[in-house]
Amino acid sequence: MGPGPSEWMAVALARTIRDGEVVAQGVNSVLASLGILLARATHAPSLTWITIAGGIDPVLSELPDSSASPAWLAGSCAILSNPEFYRLAMRGGVDRMFLGAAQIDQRARLNLSVIGDRGRPRVRLSGGGGAAVLAQVVRHIVVWRTRHTPEVFVPKVDFVTAQGNIEAVVTPLGVLGPQDGRLMLQARFPGVAVEAVKARTGFPVLPEAPVPVLEPTEEELRILSDLDPGRQRDLEFPRAAG
Amino acid sequence: MQAASLGIPFQPVRGLFGTDVAADGGFATVRDPYSGELVYVVPRIRPEWAVLHVHEADEQGNARLYGSPGYDLVMAEAAAHVILTTERLVSSEEFRAHPEQTKIPGIFVSAVAVVAGGASPCGCMPDYDVDPKGIHAYLQAAGSEAALAAYLDRVNP
Repeated sequence: MGPGPSEWMAVALARTIRDGEVVAQGVNSVLASLGILLARATHAPSLTWITIAGGIDPVLSELPDSSASPAWLAGSCAILSNPEFYRLAMRGGVDRMFLGAAQIDQRARLNLSVIGDRGRPRVRLSGGGGAAVLAQVVRHIVVWRTRHTPEVFVPKVDFVTAQGNIEAVVTPLGVLGPQDGRLMLQARFPGVAVEAVKARTGFPVLPEAPVPVLEPTEEELRILSDLDPGRQRDLEFPRAAG
Repeated sequence: MQAASLGIPFQPVRGLFGTDVAADGGFATVRDPYSGELVYVVPRIRPEWAVLHVHEADEQGNARLYGSPGYDLVMAEAAAHVILTTERLVSSEEFRAHPEQTKIPGIFVSAVAVVAGGASPCGCMPDYDVDPKGIHAYLQAAGSEAALAAYLDRVNP
């Protein structure tokens, strides 16, 4: 079986990381965790990883099966409490963080709170955790979402849970990034037509210049399959058709 | 709760600008009187009670936590009263032999109950992991009073 959206997304997430950065991820973040592990195994061996359990630089040979698993602490050199993590972030000590979102709008604002009218919401979500703070104190925020549809990519979010240092948004179709304050398609995955991205985004997303294709390398794909032999990276894709 | 732990009425925090989180929370901004920088301040939360589950405690309420302490330590300082549930009761001699391992001092604590497995179906790292089937059973039961009562009888006979 050839590579598909879960491999492309993990590779795109990994490539956002620069060597030496302090990188963090939240709960239910298989793809982001895999991206961090991939970056550590390839171009960013000296990154510092703070996991959701607060473990610093755990030694994981493969992904644990739950984001709350004690395996996330295995081999960690220290364990941060939640206040310690937020204090570190607020004083500028976290370089990059990976966040999810239910809705993402043209101005790169994220909604993790409610869908519909905020007083009488159609769907009440789990909320943003610390996203309203983190998106403005962590220098580089990378968002990922395994569904790329006009319901997710809306002109204006129903509720602004977080906004700020959004650097990239990774989807099964490609990578969006802000240009003059507006999210635009910056890279597309193999076989993805720009017209398909246009049709599945609720705001103008195509730049005037041609959009390059992001191709995973053989080495990246081999390391991914070693890190995640059980294909947990596919768990976030409940609707195969998107 | 950080503000409550410090005994002050509010806490400056970074971020929040341009969000509905700040608007809905009714959070105000203040200017730093020294630098002039604008920051959000959030009001303190001072719980009457905090109920915290720990790995080991003695009868005086001194407690050790392993794994990540999460928000437990700030809650222990913010709340007016603290109740501990503990996996294991350990002797006070053991705590006195290694006081540096005490994460919550007994002077913060009003009561201790020994409840082995008390965090289940959630996890209590590193003693036990989240129990996905247990979470599912709870969610199934949470829909009605009767089912919830039967669930509680089953898990806590």
